[in-house]
Amino acid sequence: MSDPTNEYTDWEEFEDGTLTEEEVELADDRWADAEIEDSARSIDETGDEKRNVVAELMRERAAKAQSRADDDTVDKMIGIVDGEAPVGIDDGIDLAAGAGAGKLQLVTRQTQIKEFVLASVFFLCAIVAVLGVALIFAFVAYKAFPIFTEVGFGNFITGTEWSGTEGKFGIVPFIVGSFVVTLGALAIGAPLAVMTAVFLSELASKKIRSFVRPAVELLAGIPSVVYGFFGVVVIAPIVSRLFGGVGFGPLTAWIILSIMIVPTIATLTEDALDSIPMGIREASFAMGANQWQTIYKVVLPAAKLGIIDAVILGMGRAIGETMAVLMVVGNAPQLFAGITRPISTLTSQIVLDMGYATGTQRTALFGMAAILFIISMSLVLTVRLLSRFGQEMSG
Amino acid sequence: MSGCRGAAITDTVNVAGSTTILPIAEVAAENFMQQNDEISVLVSGMGSSAGIEAVMSGTADIGTSSRNLKEGEGEGLVDIPIAYDGIAAIVNPDNPVNSITTEQLRGIYSGEITNWSEVGGEDLPIDLINRDESSGTRDAFASNVMDESHFDVGAVILPGTGQVREVVARSRGAIGYISVGYVEPRFGTRPVKALILDGVEPTDENVALGVYPISRVLHFFTKGEPEGATKQYVDYILSDEVQLGAVIQAGYLPVSTIEGGQ
Repeated sequence: MSDPTNEYTDWEEFEDGTLTEEEVELADDRWADAEIEDSARSIDETGDEKRNVVAELMRERAAKAQSRADDDTVDKMIGIVDGEAPVGIDDGIDLAAGAGAGKLQLVTRQTQIKEFVLASVFFLCAIVAVLGVALIFAFVAYKAFPIFTEVGFGNFITGTEWSGTEGKFGIVPFIVGSFVVTLGALAIGAPLAVMTAVFLSELASKKIRSFVRPAVELLAGIPSVVYGFFGVVVIAPIVSRLFGGVGFGPLTAWIILSIMIVPTIATLTEDALDSIPMGIREASFAMGANQWQTIYKVVLPAAKLGIIDAVILGMGRAIGETMAVLMVVGNAPQLFAGITRPISTLTSQIVLDMGYATGTQRTALFGMAAILFIISMSLVLTVRLLSRFGQEMSG
Repeated sequence: MSGCRGAAITDTVNVAGSTTILPIAEVAAENFMQQNDEISVLVSGMGSSAGIEAVMSGTADIGTSSRNLKEGEGEGLVDIPIAYDGIAAIVNPDNPVNSITTEQLRGIYSGEITNWSEVGGEDLPIDLINRDESSGTRDAFASNVMDESHFDVGAVILPGTGQVREVVARSRGAIGYISVGYVEPRFGTRPVKALILDGVEPTDENVALGVYPISRVLHFFTKGEPEGATKQYVDYILSDEVQLGAVIQAGYLPVSTIEGGQ
């Protein structure tokens, strides 16, 4: 016999709530069996056959219900189904459906409790993340609050001098430093990562992809202190030889950070590119465009929003990076003075001072953390807005 | 704690603080644990200020510091000097400058002198290497050299003696300061050159004699008189075995050499 699913009948009229998906499949199988044993079973001539199969299923469902709950309704239901199978089907269905809502239960209380407990556990897991964010923000804000009253919010975020031992708490050098380091790293890292993703998604043969992709993903697994160490031992001396100075500064940090953000941006960009329907590329080829034109003029613009998302998340990674930056950036609390002159960032300064800072300085560190938090949050918000914007554009 | 001597249970002594004292504390801890199976000594280097903070808060039994307590800091701590040390200004061996005055050094670190030619060297910008503010070495350097001047904020700040040494060893225009004990290359590190300061070479003898301008005391701090395992470890550090062994090997001077001389 060939595949019965398409050959026999459709169960559409029973699909909206009457039969579950599994039951439709069962019904179909039985329908097929019935056909095979047609003569032996001598089923009713015409349309009632279908109803017979359904009735049988309803009877089974009701029987199952009965085995769980001792109730007259079940008897009644089975009576209906048994007696006037083709006609009473609707009543049977009603009863079976009503059983869930009423006293008669299709799932036992035990199952219900189990499911409730499971749902609660999953809900708790989800709430941990939310609570985590809320608690950390509340804690940081609470700890940071005194700096805004003692030093003043304006002085704090517009002051350009920082010296914990002298009681000067201006964090402009660190905000500038964070952005200098992050934007520079993006300028180098984003094209690198996007091109990597284009190569992986559009150009690479299966064989090459099979070792380039794991390599890119491995980059994400390297601890940042290892990047930092690599920067100190390898990159800084090279930068020092080429550009003078001692090799600690934004340039070294850019090089290290740009490598660190490649996996974030490349993976997300590749996802964005993969989600572009093949038809768009085929249409482009059909118009006579070559591969380069297709990538540059069709695929990349189509994936634009996804790529921007990826870059912004890469930016979040870069601005929050601490250890590697601390090790190579020079940590001088001064305004940007050149790509080989040391600067400091919000994160690296927090770590550098955290070990010993007390009193107002400690508060100032929490203030810096709060500012960093706000910056990161704005980045996430930007991503959200962008993707909503994207949905509106396409829908 | 006091009844633990020789007992089978394990006692832990947490030692935290100065990276300068780290080599002494670590070597001593290893030998000490070999001799005392039941006591485990954990040593970590986070900077002197962090060490003082740790012993005050009780997270460490002993806080090590390469600087003296500041006013209002570490109330009730017992100060146990364990060694003496000088701080040497170091430059790259290729730098022709051999000698400098304290005043010039102050000028360099406050950012007034920015080229080696101003102190008798070649025409090369000075690359300042400073330590982070939690460093006891920085503190001792500041109080001995800087007087009322401020450090130049443009200096590269490195969080450890080893890093300062490493960077100066590879950068021709760099200047840094480290413990006299770290000047000689060890374990295959590259050489650096210690500057003669005010005509005095930074040698152990000169530090011991008190003629070298930048010297300091290395401290152990405990909260109250040390007891039990902590006292055992402190006594061991002050014994001749460590004082004439690890302390001298690390390049510092035993407490006994200058006792009363400071």
